[in-house]
This record gives sequence, structure tokens and C-alpha cells, in this order.
Amino acid sequence: MEAHRVRDEDLHAYVDGHLHGERRVAVERCLAEDAELARRVEDYRAQAALLHELFDPVLREQPSQEVVDLTHRLNGRLAGNDNAPPWHARAWVRMAAAIVLVVGGATGGWFGRGSVAPPPAQVVQQQRPALQTFAAEAAQAHRFYTSDERFQVEMGADDPYALDSFLSQRVGRDVFGPDLSKVGYRLIGGRSLPIDQGAGAQYMYANEQGKRITLFAGSAQPAQEGSFSFAQQGDVATFYWVEGTLAYALIGRLSREELMDITKAVYSDLKAGSKQREQREQRRQEQQPPAAQQPTQEQQQQQPQPQPQQNPVQPVSDKHNSKPS
Amino acid sequence: MAPPEIEGARLSKFGVELEVHIASLRRYARSLLRNSADAEDLVQEALTRAVSRADSFKAGTNLRAWLFTILHNVHVNQVRSRASRPDEVPVEAVESRLVTPARQEERIELRDMSRALDDLPVEQRQVLLLVALEGMKYEEVAETLGVPIGTVMSRLSRAREAVRTKLSNEGGVTLRRVK
Repeated sequence: MEAHRVRDEDLHAYVDGHLHGERRVAVERCLAEDAELARRVEDYRAQAALLHELFDPVLREQPSQEVVDLTHRLNGRLAGNDNAPPWHARAWVRMAAAIVLVVGGATGGWFGRGSVAPPPAQVVQQQRPALQTFAAEAAQAHRFYTSDERFQVEMGADDPYALDSFLSQRVGRDVFGPDLSKVGYRLIGGRSLPIDQGAGAQYMYANEQGKRITLFAGSAQPAQEGSFSFAQQGDVATFYWVEGTLAYALIGRLSREELMDITKAVYSDLKAGSKQREQREQRRQEQQPPAAQQPTQEQQQQQPQPQPQQNPVQPVSDKHNSKPS
Repeated sequence: MAPPEIEGARLSKFGVELEVHIASLRRYARSLLRNSADAEDLVQEALTRAVSRADSFKAGTNLRAWLFTILHNVHVNQVRSRASRPDEVPVEAVESRLVTPARQEERIELRDMSRALDDLPVEQRQVLLLVALEGMKYEEVAETLGVPIGTVMSRLSRAREAVRTKLSNEGGVTLRRVK
């Protein structure tokens, strides 16, 4: 066993995405050689995923009135510290609404209440409530997770394959983050989060100026497939569509035209990317001896059952294909 | 880093940041206490204290760590004062699995995770939740809990191993796929 080569603290830092550079590479190398160590990493990551599944729904619950009032007062006090202009009640209500992810149908959700909150989205097409709910959830998730740089992503993108594998497992479908470098955006990471229909995957991208966009993917009913729809809520614009068994939403604080250009890039890379991915899988399988822990067709078709993530092993296998194991 | 935004958007950004942190605070309180009423009370008391001590927050510093530290201190005080009154049971002792809606735990591994969490000593549970659920860096956890980073690491390691043992033993369902 090679376990002694990895310090315990490095292993945890690796699991939590806090390990970089050579130490990260060193851990990955050990993981490729030590199945027991790799299983520990898988299990630790599975624990985190289960914790999110158990407690993330709290994020969508409406806080008690006392907590809402106190948040309001605290913001007033802290904003005062910050020399910011005085707090505005209506802005508060809008923001409170913005972070409560929409639950239920398009008309039955949080936004259906009261007159202060805007409708979830000015949607072009009205006859697809499930998809609209999805787009609204995606937009709220965008607002929520782009508002703070410290915890935007659950898993970073330094290993895109691990990220795809993690999110595919959560969504129960094969999802991946397209390459948007052609339009100037780089993948920084992603997260999974509960939505009305199962789990959604959020990929986050940033450009040179730090502007962030997110691509949200979730399961869709095949019957919903159709053209692109556009929604605008405040300064947040969303394009959403269905492709196969997945619904996608691309969200950004951008003009409709800017977002449309990126949507095209996403769409074409999703199309092209899935082919490349298949080829990559093919190559991987050909190059690896059958005994190695490899994702196979079988894994691709897995239902969202509890399942270990194979991520820690694969990136290394990727880089060390020539090295006999 | 941030794209130039119109004047006035700064407040909204701060407001949203605060909102996001308080949502996390509520999630953490729930995962720590397991009872939604107790958790909401804890958050409420922490926010009350935060309002009264708002002057101690320095703009531009780590708002999340500031809020979580206050919540942690309030929690410590609550546990201490309850322990000193024998007619009341410490919060940890009355945590009931029943208070979590059954729907959430219908999957066996969720139920097992929930139980494994219950069985952890509170010090380990705090560290595991702050790291694995809240995504805090280890230094931030150390700051929040007021313990050295070495203590954070050893608690994290013990918590993860304890949960791992429980999950692989219980219910005959392992998280590991049979190879």
C-alpha cells in the first residue's frame, strides 16, 4: 500500500478542493496506485454530497419573519459601516425573493405571492410551465451563487472530467461543461443543487473581466424539446431550451444579443462535445486494461443511485495512459 | 475583478451577500441541531447579537466568518446554560430524527448519513459540517470555532472516518459500487 505517501491533511485538502500544484499531482498519483485510498476519497466526497442533499432544501425555505426582520436590520447596520446608501425596503423584498429558489409550478411558487415580487420571468412562450420553472430556478441559482466569490462552486474545474463525472452522478444524466473559450469564458467550476424536478447541475464560467455566466442543466421531459426561449428578470437574462433528455439554461447579466452569441457557442459545443466525449471514452477504454477501474458504458447508464465517484482515479489515468498500472 | 456596475448596485451586492450568508447560517444551524424550531431560534439569537455588535464588523473582512463565529458563540452559551439547568435537557440530547421530514430521508443512504451525523460528538459534527457542507477553508473553520487548525484537521479526520464506518456498516447498502 502506498497510503503512507499521502499525508492525511493533504488527502482532506484534496477532497475539499483546497490542494493545488505539485501536492495535488502527488495525491492524484497515489490515488491511481492505491485503490483503498481512492475509495476513501470517494467516500468522503459521497458524504459531502449526502449532506448537501439533506440540508440544501433549507436554503429554499422561507425564513421566519423574525429572521427576515433581523436580516433587514443587520443589513442596515452593516451597510452603514460600509458607507453604503440607506437600505430600501422594496429592494430588500426583491432580493429576498431572488434567493429563494422557486418551488412548485410557475404560478404556485414563491413569486406567486404578493404584489411586490416580480413574476419569475417574462417568458416568450407560455405553454411550458415545467420548463419555465426550470429556467426560473436556474436564474435564481445564478443570482444566488454568483453573488459571493468565496463559495460559488462546490467543485472547481481544475479537473473538468471529475467535475462532469460528479455532476452527471448527481443529475442522473450525462452532463458536461462545454468549452466556451472561443467566446472568452473559462470554466471555473460547478455545483449540484436540488430543483423542482430532481437535481440540477450548475456550471460557472468567468471571462477576463471576472464577469460570470452560468449554464444550468437538469432532466427534462422529452416532449418539451423545442426552440430557444428567452427570459429577462431585472438585469439577469436567460436563454433556455431542451436537448434530448436535458433542459439547459444559460444565464448572465448581459444583453440579449451578447447572451445569444454565447448560447450559440454552448449549443454547438454541446453537440460537438458529446461526440468528442464519446471518442475520448472509446480511447480510454481501448488504452486501459480491463482490470483497471474505468468508467464504462455501464457507468454512463447508471441511474442516480448512490454510487462512488470515480473522479480521483480517472484524471490520473487520463494523464498517465502510457504508464502500465 | 468585478465588472464596473452602476453606482448604487454596491448596496444590492452587499445585501445579496448578506442574504446568501444568512441562508447558509440557517442551513448550518439546521444541520447542527436537526430541529427546525431550535435552529431558527439559534439563528435569530445570533442575528440579534450581530445587530447589536454590528460596529465590530470591519467592512471588507470576512462577513461569513464573522456571522458563523457569532452563531457558534451563541450556540456554546445555549448549551452551557441549558446544561446548568437540570430541568432542561441539552439540545443535542433531544435531537430527534423524527423532526426531519420523512420525505427527505426516504433514501436509505440519506437516512444513514443523518444517523451517522447524530452519532458524532458535537465538536466533530461542527467541523465536518463547516468543511463539507458550508465549504469553509480550514483556517476559516479554526477562526470560527476558536480552535487551532491542527484541532480542526484531527476532528475532520475522525469525523469522516466515523461516518464512513457507519455508512459502510449500516443497512447493508454501501456507498461503494461493487466492482
